[in-house]
Amino acid sequence: MSVSVRFKFSRKGPVRYIGHLDMLRYFQKAVMRSGLPARYSEGFHPHQIMSFAYPLGVSMETEGDYMDLDLTEEIPEEEMLKRLNAVMNEGVSVSRATILKENAENAMALVAAADYRLSISEGADEAAAAVERIMSCKEILIDGGETKRGKKPKAPKDIRAGILDMRAEDGGYVFMRLLSGSAMNVRPADVFDKLNEAAGGKMYCDCICRLEIYAKKDDSLIPLSEADKRDA
Amino acid sequence: MDSAKRKLALPHRILMEAEKPARYTGGELNSVMKEADLVKIRFCFCFPDVYEIGMSHLGMQILYGLMNSYEDVWCERVFSPWTDMDAIMRRENIPLFALESQDPVKDFDFLGFTLQYEMCYVNILQVLELSGMALYAKDRGEDDPIVIGGGPCTYNAEPIADFFDIFYIGEGEVSYRKLFDLYEEHKERGYKKADFLHEAAKLEGIYVPALYDIVYNEDKTIKSIEPKYDDIPRVVKKNVVKDLDASFYPTAPVVPFIQATQDRAVLEVMRGCIRGCRFCQAGQIYKPVRARNVDTLIRYAEELMENTGYEELSLSSLSTSDHPGLKELLERLINMCNEKKINISLPSLRIDAFSLDVMNKVQDVKKNSLTFAPEAGSQRMRNVINKGLTVENILNGAELAFKGGWNKVKLYFMIGLPGEEDEDVAAIAELSNEVAALYYDTVPKSERQGRVTITASSSFFVPKPFTAFQWAAMNTPEEFLRKAAHCKSKVREQLNQKSIVYHYHDASTTIIEGVLARGDRKLSAVIEEVYRKGGIFDAWTETFSYERWMKAFKDCGMDYGFYIYRERPEEEMFPWDIIDSGVTKKYLYREWMNSKAGTVTLNCRDKCAGCGAGTFMCGICLQPRGGAA
Repeated sequence: MSVSVRFKFSRKGPVRYIGHLDMLRYFQKAVMRSGLPARYSEGFHPHQIMSFAYPLGVSMETEGDYMDLDLTEEIPEEEMLKRLNAVMNEGVSVSRATILKENAENAMALVAAADYRLSISEGADEAAAAVERIMSCKEILIDGGETKRGKKPKAPKDIRAGILDMRAEDGGYVFMRLLSGSAMNVRPADVFDKLNEAAGGKMYCDCICRLEIYAKKDDSLIPLSEADKRDA
Repeated sequence: MDSAKRKLALPHRILMEAEKPARYTGGELNSVMKEADLVKIRFCFCFPDVYEIGMSHLGMQILYGLMNSYEDVWCERVFSPWTDMDAIMRRENIPLFALESQDPVKDFDFLGFTLQYEMCYVNILQVLELSGMALYAKDRGEDDPIVIGGGPCTYNAEPIADFFDIFYIGEGEVSYRKLFDLYEEHKERGYKKADFLHEAAKLEGIYVPALYDIVYNEDKTIKSIEPKYDDIPRVVKKNVVKDLDASFYPTAPVVPFIQATQDRAVLEVMRGCIRGCRFCQAGQIYKPVRARNVDTLIRYAEELMENTGYEELSLSSLSTSDHPGLKELLERLINMCNEKKINISLPSLRIDAFSLDVMNKVQDVKKNSLTFAPEAGSQRMRNVINKGLTVENILNGAELAFKGGWNKVKLYFMIGLPGEEDEDVAAIAELSNEVAALYYDTVPKSERQGRVTITASSSFFVPKPFTAFQWAAMNTPEEFLRKAAHCKSKVREQLNQKSIVYHYHDASTTIIEGVLARGDRKLSAVIEEVYRKGGIFDAWTETFSYERWMKAFKDCGMDYGFYIYRERPEEEMFPWDIIDSGVTKKYLYREWMNSKAGTVTLNCRDKCAGCGAGTFMCGICLQPRGGAA
């Protein structure tokens, strides 16, 4: 049998400096140590069937990222969390395990938006005004990046519609809710660059923490752990 | 402590400048945190190369685990910062730090370097300087860490002797506890570095280079090595683990986050080698051969899997086929690993019916290439180097492999071996051709999956201390390259030349390696000069500069040819005669003569060759065999 499980995990502290592929390898090893009955792919190089909703960039923290894993038998959700958390490293932990319904969509395809909290270590006083200035703009153009061949830059793109919410918070933080996924994908670092520009380059952000990843259901956003949940 | 809040030595801004920041942040699975105030000794273990290389090294994992099993000791790790971080740390004036506590290396009691290859010598100076320490031992103060070196290069560490306080000779499991006890004793009764070092020099396997005067002859050879005190040994005998089953094994090794060069669990099944290849240093310095018990190994394998989560287990030794319990070990491991979806990798396994059968059971169905190491192309040369592998062995193995579905074969050779003629070099091409032809004879056209690929690689031979070839002259770079070109043109003449890919290594690196391998203390000035002129990461082709070395030899007034281009006479005293590896110079010279006569010497199991390692009273030396005891 096969059952798909969605794990919500967090990563904090020094471990944030590893990349996405290293995070994948980390979880593969953790699953091996935990003794969870992972299902393996067929073929020449059998591997665990594991996927991530949203690659975590080097240096990003998270309190709400998701990893999907296929198992060969069903295990109570609490038990899965206990087993995985027993073998975790410093700074990484799983907070939820959700058994998915059959034919659930893969997590990455579901991603519609994400929340972020940015730690502003320098120039935090400027944050509130900068946020207000940006939010009052009708258009926010960012560099479109380079074309594949790396020759001519793409046309700038307008990300204003992708900033669903943004506010400065006490303690030197800025909260953002940004559109993600295939239609429009806004990176928190790009929004921060705009904020910093508005603040005259006085701000420095030393940590971006993803708080939650959302899927779209009807017209509202629901946390990924609620999407494709198996009916109780 | 809340480990997620573990401090980092480098601020975010700097980490983000680095190519791979995780090289510097620590916190990996099974890394050990202790309270600095609660330990008596802080030991910083350095592998002087980049993180991914150093973390692949079993020896470091052994000593890290062993030292951290002592309650009074905290062993941490440091590696050479890669060139990007090296530049940042110099620019920002950031002192080098250990990964675990992120504390400066300079605050430690010991800084231990593992010396695995000569080309990392300049990186030792990099680590010392970035740590804020003087390069030369004589210039360092009472508060500086004791700088200690271990590993294979300590069998002749004379070229770097002036940078070190202590060399630990032999296997690390044996004497560190005694050294630490002595250190603690001295710390308690008022520590003076010179007194401590003098006492340490009396411990087994502990060599304090500053306590020995080197007296030279007029012709620059060594006249004598004189201890400065009567109460320290004239020669330092290596440490040997007598009972491998009872010694420490790291079954909870540190598992890197970023992919190390060896991304797998390692099971050391045996130490030492029975073979006695005349070019091989490892074969001599790790004598006598000692195999671990199968039950012990199975237990270690289980613990390794449980503690690491690796998906691959690699059996490690110099010659795994010679393990007396290999059949039982593999049967049990295969059962265990198949169940857990763990792959077993078997490097250094002789290719024969048994090993191919095993590989069929353990390896991914996709057939990777098979490797043979004939080391020399002609049978005459293989007798000279005492490599007991015949053309028949190779062809039989290859035939079985081809029938089993493999169609990629790697062949490893050396060029520049003592007594080598052009026809021996041409034999590399001929042997490669024979293997390729065998494929077409063995596998019917309908079953072939494309062309067979024979990859022949040759490295250039470097004579090493404690081998039969320690007296031998090396080829010049011109000779190396001429021979490699000759080999290449011979490959092109072969009938199956389209199936053969031929590679050869860099000749200039080989020359420097040769000088450092058999050099003496006078070379420290050259190494310093190379480092001062920007030399780091010499083991990497992109950072190595032959010209920088040549200029340094010239500027220091040193004739490097003295160390490599002359055949040394029987009676010459070597810089490494200060070390007693167990294997006697008399035996090695006998082997040198046998090599010149093309006479083969049997392996330790078939007949004892009387090498001298029997004095360690362990391993194969205690078993009844043919020949003299």
